[in-house]
Amino acid sequence: MDIAYVGEWTVVAEMGRGLIALALASSLLAVVAYLAGWERFARRAFTVHAVSIFGAIALVFALFIGHRYEFQYIWKHLNNVMPMRFIFSAFWGGQEGGFLMWMFWHNVLGLVLMRGKHAFTATAMAVLAAIEFFLTTMLLGVYFGDFQLGLDPFLFMRNAPENIGLPWTMRPDYLSLPFFADGQGLNPLLQNYWMTIHPPTLFLGFASTAIPFALAIAGLRNRQDRSWMKPALRWSFFGVGILGLGILMGGAWAYEALSFGGFWAWDPVENSSLVPWITLTAGAHLLLVNQNRKRPTALFSTFYFPLISFLLVVYSTFLTKSGILGDTSVHSFVDSGILPQLLTYLLAFTVLAHVMLLQSPKRRWRAVALLAPWAIVLLKGWVVEALVGVLVTLAGMAIAAYRKDIESSTEEDALWSRDFWMFVGSLLLLVSAVHITWQTSIPVFNALLEPFSTPLQWLADATGSGVIETWAQHDMAPGTDLDRTYHLVQVPLAVLILALIGMTQWLKYKQTKLETIRKELYVAYGVALLGLVGVLVFYDFEAWEAPRVALLAAAVFAASSNFRYLRKVAGSNWKQWGSPLAHVGFALVLFGAVLSTSQKEIISQNRIGDLATLNEELNNREDLLLMQGDTLPMGPYFISYVAPRTEGIHVKFRMDYFESDPKQYLPGDVVLVDGMVFQAIDEHFASSRFDEDMEAHWQFVPFPNPRQARQAMRWEAGVPGDFLFSLDPQIQLNERMGNAPEPDTRHWWDRDLYTHIKWGRVSPPETDEEGWLGGRESQLAVGDSVLLGSVLVRLDSLRAVRDEERPELGLLERDLALAACITLKDKGKEAPHEPLYIVRDSLIIPDLYVAEDWGLRFRIDRFDPMTEAIEWTVWEHESVRRDFVVMQAAIFPLINVLWIGVILMTIGSLMAVWSRWAQRKGRA
Amino acid sequence: MKRSHLILLLLTAGMVGTLIATLTSTARSVSFPEAAAGDASTYKVSGTLVREEPVVYDPQVDAGLTRFTMRDREGNVAQVHLYEAKPTGLENSESIDLYGHFDGQTFHADRMLMKCPSKYNEQNHVLGEDTQTAGA
Repeated sequence: MDIAYVGEWTVVAEMGRGLIALALASSLLAVVAYLAGWERFARRAFTVHAVSIFGAIALVFALFIGHRYEFQYIWKHLNNVMPMRFIFSAFWGGQEGGFLMWMFWHNVLGLVLMRGKHAFTATAMAVLAAIEFFLTTMLLGVYFGDFQLGLDPFLFMRNAPENIGLPWTMRPDYLSLPFFADGQGLNPLLQNYWMTIHPPTLFLGFASTAIPFALAIAGLRNRQDRSWMKPALRWSFFGVGILGLGILMGGAWAYEALSFGGFWAWDPVENSSLVPWITLTAGAHLLLVNQNRKRPTALFSTFYFPLISFLLVVYSTFLTKSGILGDTSVHSFVDSGILPQLLTYLLAFTVLAHVMLLQSPKRRWRAVALLAPWAIVLLKGWVVEALVGVLVTLAGMAIAAYRKDIESSTEEDALWSRDFWMFVGSLLLLVSAVHITWQTSIPVFNALLEPFSTPLQWLADATGSGVIETWAQHDMAPGTDLDRTYHLVQVPLAVLILALIGMTQWLKYKQTKLETIRKELYVAYGVALLGLVGVLVFYDFEAWEAPRVALLAAAVFAASSNFRYLRKVAGSNWKQWGSPLAHVGFALVLFGAVLSTSQKEIISQNRIGDLATLNEELNNREDLLLMQGDTLPMGPYFISYVAPRTEGIHVKFRMDYFESDPKQYLPGDVVLVDGMVFQAIDEHFASSRFDEDMEAHWQFVPFPNPRQARQAMRWEAGVPGDFLFSLDPQIQLNERMGNAPEPDTRHWWDRDLYTHIKWGRVSPPETDEEGWLGGRESQLAVGDSVLLGSVLVRLDSLRAVRDEERPELGLLERDLALAACITLKDKGKEAPHEPLYIVRDSLIIPDLYVAEDWGLRFRIDRFDPMTEAIEWTVWEHESVRRDFVVMQAAIFPLINVLWIGVILMTIGSLMAVWSRWAQRKGRA
Repeated sequence: MKRSHLILLLLTAGMVGTLIATLTSTARSVSFPEAAAGDASTYKVSGTLVREEPVVYDPQVDAGLTRFTMRDREGNVAQVHLYEAKPTGLENSESIDLYGHFDGQTFHADRMLMKCPSKYNEQNHVLGEDTQTAGA
């Protein structure tokens, strides 16, 4: 250990570790001091903690800026070619940076919360400091034997477990090794501007759930004092606004930079950030009900929702960082060895919350006594059994608290009051959150079921129940059909919630005279009805999509009702704008999301199934094969693949879009539609669909004559018109993760054209020394045609080679030889060729036939006399090869409604915070 | 009984019902022979890519067909037709989940999920150059 390494920033590493150690110690001191009531000391301790974390963050940035590849974190997330504008993305590209960023926000919010002089501030700060204490342990990187506590952001490469003991780590000058000249680099997928702003926004949202949690714990500590509710309300709405924005920024990133063709996929990562948002929203509304009431209502839920919102954020971290999701997600997770730590963290705060729900020291101690045995089970190594035990006990504690500790209101709220319907709405949100969590947690259930496999199997055998059998196998897979897994439950819930949003806004607290608001609601119903008619007229929904249509109508109802409220009631008093604006935004988000996703229209289809290749078994799927230089119809456009070009780490494929002008047909033109031949009766311009023209302009030809059969072309609606625009869908060259496609999207106010490459060549194809590309086998019967590059090859007939031809072809008399008469055709050029199939003494003599001018080479491998079909291998020469790509294009209608909704929702939520903040200031 | 309790009760009942329904209906992965024997329209088969066999994707013939060979968890090997463009990283995948049906010789998959070894391999990427062309 006394090697003096040359050029290594040893001091910085020591400083960094020192700061983290200081942060750990000071957070613990802050907890103790806040609980003991040493306020001034506690504030200093927390400030020291915050400054240490900020310092550690600054050091990591310094390491990035200095390209210090001796640090593992830098080496993994930076390389020399990465533009420095992605330094932020690189910073939070790994778990260490993610934790640091999360802590950064906790500390920023903590420094604000700390300034409060309320009775509850000390307890709340103690809870926040405790959260920080746990998070700081995630950055320790200390080993106890094989057990790893935390991930050290200042770890040297030479100290990484996989490198310890390797010879180079003993070299003082190891930094001069070429290995350390460059890093592995950030995953190029994260090198995107969305990745600069999405994670910090999301983490600020996550961090802001910690404050209502801490305040609720403080409120539980002193139940006489309900003053925690007002600040908790402000922080909750802040969290709702920021977390909502962060989640949907993630959607925007997926939509702009990833190629799964949408912004939301119900992926576990997305779900587990959405669920805390839902519960936080529900909690915020309950706080709103209770903050001013003399007698609280639904008090248990008012405590419970802020509590679980934070716990669900920790659960989300646990799901996505522990590796437990494993192979159930398209996101791929790696167990970084911090699962036990995350689990401890999650359990500690869940237990804290539930113990605090109980309202007397005696009951709390009894609960702890009930939980303690499970700790012994846990230490015995029966982790899952202990977890199940703890979860059951906690559920029991929650029920006990609900029944005895937290008083329920004695009087019932009036039916037509905001209080009542906001409570109902919160419950609906809870149902939605539970359902999503449930579906996302199936891998967790599998893990929990595993140790009970034997008794369950026994039970399954005894009862013959397939369901229990499934549990015994503990191999349940999350549903893959999103409609059944999520939409079936979530869509009806959303309809109800939107209806409540539209109605409840007009209700008053305590009691409302219905007559006063009836007119307003009728107007909103009227608008919703218009919206419904509009949706049904302009879009094509199937009967089973009725819930979706109902959702769209409900969204119109909620948006119009709240918009009217904004104008009539809030009017020029901007302090009342927050809630109706946020509600309009939320309704627009759901409207835009549901409409653009369900009405997404894939306009690319594989058109190679043309007359030319009728022999191939082809299907028109969702992807379009585009040969370079071809201009093909695609949806309302003509599209042409121009050329690929390389820019940095991207290969961009330029696609030109042209208008589609109606095609003119003259009398006598013959077309082919679905295998049937039609002849034009008169001169006309094609409409968009053949069936619209068929009656008036076409005549069916049941028995086409040879001329008609030859001339019959596939019917097309249009011909390429004026050039419109270009799009550059691209492939990101990503050696580490595999090349990744990135979409390119054209935006209009009312729709997006979204395109991405499914297959494209990013490097020249391999050829042999003479320039021949790898051969392709195919089967051809007499009369069949096949398209090779741009050349159409037709097998006209097969004939035996005549005796007089043999010497010229170098054939022996005993050879059996067959000539395949083929016609090659390309852009008006046409030529016959005759590759041979030779059998000598029952052996096939491979005969390579080169069609010189065409850049094609043939070898007939087999001949089947029964079907008159040949199997051959064809090689293309690189000189004639045309590049091609496989592309998918889709139109997302009205997707901008979603993005406008996001903006309104965020602004509205923040205005609600602001107006309450201003109110507080005004009164103080 | 209070109105809010009634609503609570209804919601709880509805929720418990739905959740139990999902627990009883979630797909479980089966082996190739089980998929061949059953008569359901869609099965999930999990397994690994057989690396010795070629992965064939020839967009010029069919842009929406990828052929490869997979070994299920019980060790049965079968030819797979995946009706999608070849997902990138297939060759490096650690495990594969297929959704589709088995016709006795070939498993026809409409959908595939795979786990790749790399961290932050955020999506099921497509593309790649190392595909063998048909027959090569």
